[in-house]
Amino acid sequence: MSVHAFETMGTMVSIRIADTALSERDAQAAVTAVEQECGRLNEKFSLYRDDSELSQIARGELTLANSSDDMRTEYARALEWREKTDGAFTPHRPDGVIDLNGTIKAVAIDSAAQILTQAGFQNFSVNVGGDLTTSGDQSPEEQGWITGIVDPADRAVMLAAVRVTAEFPAMATSGTSERGEHIWARPETTTDFVQATVMAGDIITADVLATAIISGGQATLDQITQNFAVAVLTVAPDGALQANARFQELVAR
Amino acid sequence: MRAGTAFFAGLGSAAIIAVGWQAGVGTLVSSLPQSQAAASGTTTTAASGTAGTGADEWGNVPTDPLTTPAADAPAAPAAATGGVTNGTFDGAVINTRYGAQQVQVVVAGGKLTDVVVLQTQTADRKSQQISSRANPILREEALTAQSAKIANVSGATYTSQSYMQSLQSALDAAGFTG
Repeated sequence: MSVHAFETMGTMVSIRIADTALSERDAQAAVTAVEQECGRLNEKFSLYRDDSELSQIARGELTLANSSDDMRTEYARALEWREKTDGAFTPHRPDGVIDLNGTIKAVAIDSAAQILTQAGFQNFSVNVGGDLTTSGDQSPEEQGWITGIVDPADRAVMLAAVRVTAEFPAMATSGTSERGEHIWARPETTTDFVQATVMAGDIITADVLATAIISGGQATLDQITQNFAVAVLTVAPDGALQANARFQELVAR
Repeated sequence: MRAGTAFFAGLGSAAIIAVGWQAGVGTLVSSLPQSQAAASGTTTTAASGTAGTGADEWGNVPTDPLTTPAADAPAAPAAATGGVTNGTFDGAVINTRYGAQQVQVVVAGGKLTDVVVLQTQTADRKSQQISSRANPILREEALTAQSAKIANVSGATYTSQSYMQSLQSALDAAGFTG
């Protein structure tokens, strides 16, 4: 097991590689490639950078029609998710500015996993700021990747530990306990949950749906557990937990 | 008791079964007010009254013995002898709007002593909707892996600064070797 951590996009990336067949040098090369990809996405999509393409669009200096293919592809992807979540997820800030933070971090995680896979690694996890995707097993003895979920009331404590496997290799947690979540609330946004964790087949689905549950509350949670193949755990302001059946089955024992 | 309404409603032949049930276990009839609605051919009561509670949130059938009329088997031997036959009887598999259901009834000493749900499975979209819901759970149910080898931590996005105080950074610093 090797662990690689670096800073990007205002947060930290932790990559764990459990493959023993490939060398540490191979791992380092792949991690460097991941770092470059995260940097590229940040330069293009960050609203914290005045020189990013998205900041130019936000200032009205560049129109979407004249923006890069990447930009229009990601904007279209985010709009698609707005449709799928009945607007609980949206790529627009209340002031109308396009904000793709809700999907770009997940896109970065997805790209990182592809880079590692293409480099020949089969057993790894990529965790960016608390959202992650995995491949294979964390060790020959331990199937999948055992992942703890933080208690929003005390971030030094875990609420749950679940086994992340090929069925749902990705997990994302959204909440109101840290800034930078970029959940752009509709006027009627609820305060039903302070944290939502979604396990899904891919990290973009997991991340968007976790955000949508925080934004849309119980009604959105019901809609999502009905319409998507996911495992879900939510935390209410009073600490009460809700989980669907699949989540409970994935609790690591 | 209320569970019976929806159960009948989803069941075209409920009336016949209910009548057979009444004949076989006469002492229970007075406890089955819903069976009258079913016997009169009412099949639209699912949307009224307490019908929505016909199955619980997990899509399970009602298990109250007095309102579970699906077991038509005991009615046959009972009718043949004109009394109550002791024994264990499997009901027919019946498709309800909550999925296929089957119950087993146990009659001892001339009295119904037990009803066991033999088969429950979600079949249609409605029952999937019910069983896929997120329900309250206890923390102990969620965290049973105190000794598990936790490789990662998921939480609301931490910043570069708050990462230093995070469980993830502790795992990273330890160079997790699980």
